[in-house]
Amino acid sequence: MDIFTLAIWIGTFIFLGVSLAKDKVKTKQALKMALGMGKGMAASIFSIIFAIGLILTLLPPTEIAGYVGKQSVLLATVVAALFGTITLVPAFIAFPLVGTLVGAGVSVVPSVAFLTTLTMVGVVTFPLEKKEFGTKFTAIRNSLSFLFAIVIALVMGVMM
Amino acid sequence: MTILKKVKENLFLVIVALAYIALFIINPVMGAESVKNSGYYIKEMLMIMPVIFILTALLDLWIPKEKIIQFLGKEAGAKGVFLSFVVGSISAGPIYAAFPMCVMLHKKGASIRNIVIILSSWAVIKVPMLLNEAKFLGPKFMAIRWVLTVIAIIIFSWISAKLIKDDDLPGEVLAKPGLHINRDACMGCTLCAKNAPALFEMQGKKAVVKPYKPEALDMELLQNTIKACPVHAIEYSEK
Repeated sequence: MDIFTLAIWIGTFIFLGVSLAKDKVKTKQALKMALGMGKGMAASIFSIIFAIGLILTLLPPTEIAGYVGKQSVLLATVVAALFGTITLVPAFIAFPLVGTLVGAGVSVVPSVAFLTTLTMVGVVTFPLEKKEFGTKFTAIRNSLSFLFAIVIALVMGVMM
Repeated sequence: MTILKKVKENLFLVIVALAYIALFIINPVMGAESVKNSGYYIKEMLMIMPVIFILTALLDLWIPKEKIIQFLGKEAGAKGVFLSFVVGSISAGPIYAAFPMCVMLHKKGASIRNIVIILSSWAVIKVPMLLNEAKFLGPKFMAIRWVLTVIAIIIFSWISAKLIKDDDLPGEVLAKPGLHINRDACMGCTLCAKNAPALFEMQGKKAVVKPYKPEALDMELLQNTIKACPVHAIEYSEK
């Protein structure tokens, strides 16, 4: 286990210990809640992971890197951001996925754009959001997020 | 429940499974390769996911959101912006769990700007995730992206507030009296059905409210169950 994962485990266990000492009943409830979240999301997380495994076999990251490398940065970034909007992926799957892409040689700018829209903009959740907030709010929030995902990516390209 | 209904509820899972079966028939080598690829992500996920869920639940438990909520109105200014980031970054559950909560906040007087901040930070700057990002993409990458994202959210929430008026939100579907479950938020964890089997039961993958007598409600049990729901999907109002 690497240092970052270890740090988060240790930190959480200290937090858990303090929490247990302060309020046993509430802590038990929190643990049940954590278990509930895990169970509730398990099926969709596993299907997303297996879908990613399949896509990466049919379209190896090195090939993606080669393809992205041939395009202009702006075009690659916009297309990467568009791919990210298709669905919302939980961040703990998005990070290793983008890590794989960067490791295989995909440049940082399109990768960041992909990462940001992957977690922030979702065509799949659009109807849900529209139902709660109305069309105008949803359209403005999602398009501004998309636009700024590209801006963040371009600025990162300059800074990294 | 019929098979068809089950298939519909797990449509994505079924499609992925069918794709695997097809691939194994056409090209077993690639099929095995896909399973191997998935294995890497499953290993990475299992190493970090349990602890992230525990940490998120603990943060959700110990940081009193009810108190924070009072400070999210239009006049709150910088303090409201800061607190909105805090609420978004520590909350549990996927972004669609944030929708009903933000509608509730807006009814209680939170400004459009602060709602956009909560939604956006809910999606991208979860505190437990920062370490995870540093691990896969490096601390420098994480730090720069984090700072840029916060700046971007501040700017575009300000733009949103200029473009969207309060009455652009439907909002007027005021809370119906009685006990309800927001089906869009519910993720079928079965906690409520276990905590209060007299009030809730599972129908397929979602919890539903059983017929109950309003005068015979065990309020303490109900309040505890409402608090325990990981995605705050249970709503109760007296009138």
